[in-house]
Amino acid sequence: MVVNTIDIDALFNALGGEIDRDCIQQDSIQNEVVIEIPAEKLLEVSSVLLDQFDLYHLSTITAEERAGDPDYLAVQYNFWKGSGLTLLTRLEKDSPVLRSLTGMIPGADFYEREVAEMFGVQFTHRAETPPLLLPDDWDGDPPMLQKEEPK
Amino acid sequence: MDKMNIPIGPQHPLLKEPLRLNIEISGERVLGGILRLGYVHRGIEKLAQTRNYNQNVSLTERVCGICSHVHTTTFCRAVEALLGLELPERVHYIRALMCEMERIHSHLLWLGILAKHIGLEMVFMHTWHDRESILDVMEELSGGRVAHAVNQIGGVRFDLDEDHGPMVDSTVKKLKVDYEELLDVIEHDTTLKARTQGIAPLSAEDMKKYCVVGPVARASGVDVDMRRDDPMPPYDKLDFQVITHPDGDAWSRTYVRLQEIRQSLHLCKQIIDDIPEGPISVRAPRKVPAGEVVMRSEAPRGELFYYLRSDGSEYPARLKIRTPTLPALGILPEQLSEIHIADIPVVLAGIDLCIACADR
Repeated sequence: MVVNTIDIDALFNALGGEIDRDCIQQDSIQNEVVIEIPAEKLLEVSSVLLDQFDLYHLSTITAEERAGDPDYLAVQYNFWKGSGLTLLTRLEKDSPVLRSLTGMIPGADFYEREVAEMFGVQFTHRAETPPLLLPDDWDGDPPMLQKEEPK
Repeated sequence: MDKMNIPIGPQHPLLKEPLRLNIEISGERVLGGILRLGYVHRGIEKLAQTRNYNQNVSLTERVCGICSHVHTTTFCRAVEALLGLELPERVHYIRALMCEMERIHSHLLWLGILAKHIGLEMVFMHTWHDRESILDVMEELSGGRVAHAVNQIGGVRFDLDEDHGPMVDSTVKKLKVDYEELLDVIEHDTTLKARTQGIAPLSAEDMKKYCVVGPVARASGVDVDMRRDDPMPPYDKLDFQVITHPDGDAWSRTYVRLQEIRQSLHLCKQIIDDIPEGPISVRAPRKVPAGEVVMRSEAPRGELFYYLRSDGSEYPARLKIRTPTLPALGILPEQLSEIHIADIPVVLAGIDLCIACADR
């Protein structure tokens, strides 16, 4: 396998003005190219990554609350091809909704289900599935959003 | 023929750890399966936010009982990247030595389980006997057989002394001899071949679609290994081959892992021969500067992913762990489709499941 690092300029050109150049940052997460995108562009941008850059490997989907951004959830799609590329999107915490990538990347299934259960993100355009990690009768808040003080 | 659902697990003699698999069958034919995890979910990512960085080294060690060392290595590398620490070369070599011994004992453990499922008791005993000799060395080096507690932020907690090199050397030599016998069994034993060849084959395309990593992907011809493709030191200075096989069946997975044992033995020998002198740690502050980092390592089961974000305090603001078993489980329903009921154990064993890892 020839290991390629990601060509940011080629990526920007391929996205054809879908996103601002400022939204592509090298190393804002160490070792990663980070592209900040609006949630509604997730499918389009992922298609470009997959079809034109062969970025088929989705390492995981990472969701988190950030102290400086209390009304939003940050959701990252961590891709890899020789080096890492992260798609970063922000969702309103009150109604976090994202388009599923399982039609394009079936391996995203477990990652989406984990984010859905642990952070309450609703993924559209995907099959209904039973809980993956939480108990069948869980009716509390999403566990990762519950507050706990350091000990 | 009528269809029937059979639940396997969460407690089942076939399973070493709990998961639930509802399989649908028609006669002796398996039509598919639905998977359910969470029985050993410990909330480690949430717990990590309430522990300081040093405590989290111990916590991440407990994600997995087999590949505990690679978890702490990846976590420490992530913290050290945020701290901007330059580590002495000797630290990297000691970490890599433990990683490779961990890979050997993990693969041997897996091969023993597969052999037991097939009914090859002698291979099971042979591999687990060999595994003991590696565990003995790891215990001698670190004091622990399972949780080795080798890593700390800024270095490692033990140094190799003058007796350790010859001990690793003699164990590697002994295992190389045993390895040839095992390879002979894998390549020629008719029972093993009958039970594994052509069972649940998956293509490289399937593996890519499901983002599968590690030996399972390599056994379908996906040429990827984080030690080479996203290397941590000292792998960029070491000589090893990434083993692949095109067939993608249960036999290929056996073959790839066995060949990887040989590569790891070769790496252990190189590390012992080449390890530089020097200190084994540098001082690390308790507070970590604000920032984010992604770290990937090659665990025995494949790419291990850590994302760490610090807000500048003593506690991580977010620690995300994605273990290699999780994507491998994603493709399990696909593998179970159109196989014989008797082949379910071979398919499950072929993935080398670590449910505790997948649950976290």
